[in-house]
Amino acid sequence: MRFDFVEPLVFALLSLGVIVGGAAVVLIDRITAAALFMAFTFLCMAGMFVLLGAETIAAFQVLIYVGAITVLILYGVMFTKYGDRPYALFFQRQTPLAVVFVASVGVPVALFSFTFTSGTPPRGGGDLPSLATSVFTDFAFPFEVASVLLLAAMVGAIVLTKREERKETLR
Amino acid sequence: MIVPLGAYIAVSAALFFIGCAGVLVRRNAVVILMCVELMLNAANLALVAFSRKYGAVDERGSVFVVFVFVIAAAEVAVGLAIVLSAYRNRAVIDVDEIHQMSG
Repeated sequence: MRFDFVEPLVFALLSLGVIVGGAAVVLIDRITAAALFMAFTFLCMAGMFVLLGAETIAAFQVLIYVGAITVLILYGVMFTKYGDRPYALFFQRQTPLAVVFVASVGVPVALFSFTFTSGTPPRGGGDLPSLATSVFTDFAFPFEVASVLLLAAMVGAIVLTKREERKETLR
Repeated sequence: MIVPLGAYIAVSAALFFIGCAGVLVRRNAVVILMCVELMLNAANLALVAFSRKYGAVDERGSVFVVFVFVIAAAEVAVGLAIVLSAYRNRAVIDVDEIHQMSG
């Protein structure tokens, strides 16, 4: 039996998710929903990276974009007020739906983890060895510059958001 | 690679234009940051697709994607810091209202 139809099908679904999620980010007025749609778009994009055979990049995508950047943006949404929010308790009203979603993910994960038998690990390691070799040989200097850039961004973000202390001398 | 390269590039271009339209249309600074992230991610998809098609020996395209990740993280950190700083000083988040530094 041939499985040639699987890859185009998965690609079609993922591209649909990317386009619809991206359009929702632009079109939806509620910023929290827009941020969650952005995370959905990033997840679909990670699926595309897996489809392309770049598993390491997909893992970075989930860690950095879906994890770090989405959380950072949600914090930004939390600290700024934009318009009125008549549905402030939006998430709390959907507890039954949340239970269904959590169960649909959690029960298979629990079943899988309790019935897991480790097979032989696949050889190689995907695209990670060649990626790491490139990063630490040809791109070693840009890699160091990137780390300095991250440090500078961290310090800059702290300085920008730091409150000005009132300099009152006690005398 | 059954799916042709052009399909990936088409999705990448579509997402880039969506992000570009969002930057131009939306006036909320946080949403603009999100749209910039979408554009960066679209560029990542194009880089990985081309790397898979033409650079099968080493992963140079993917290395650039890693650097784009770093730049995106730094950009969103500093951008959000600027937005929060402006919001705290002026209590506005609409970019049309923030014209303190324009001439």
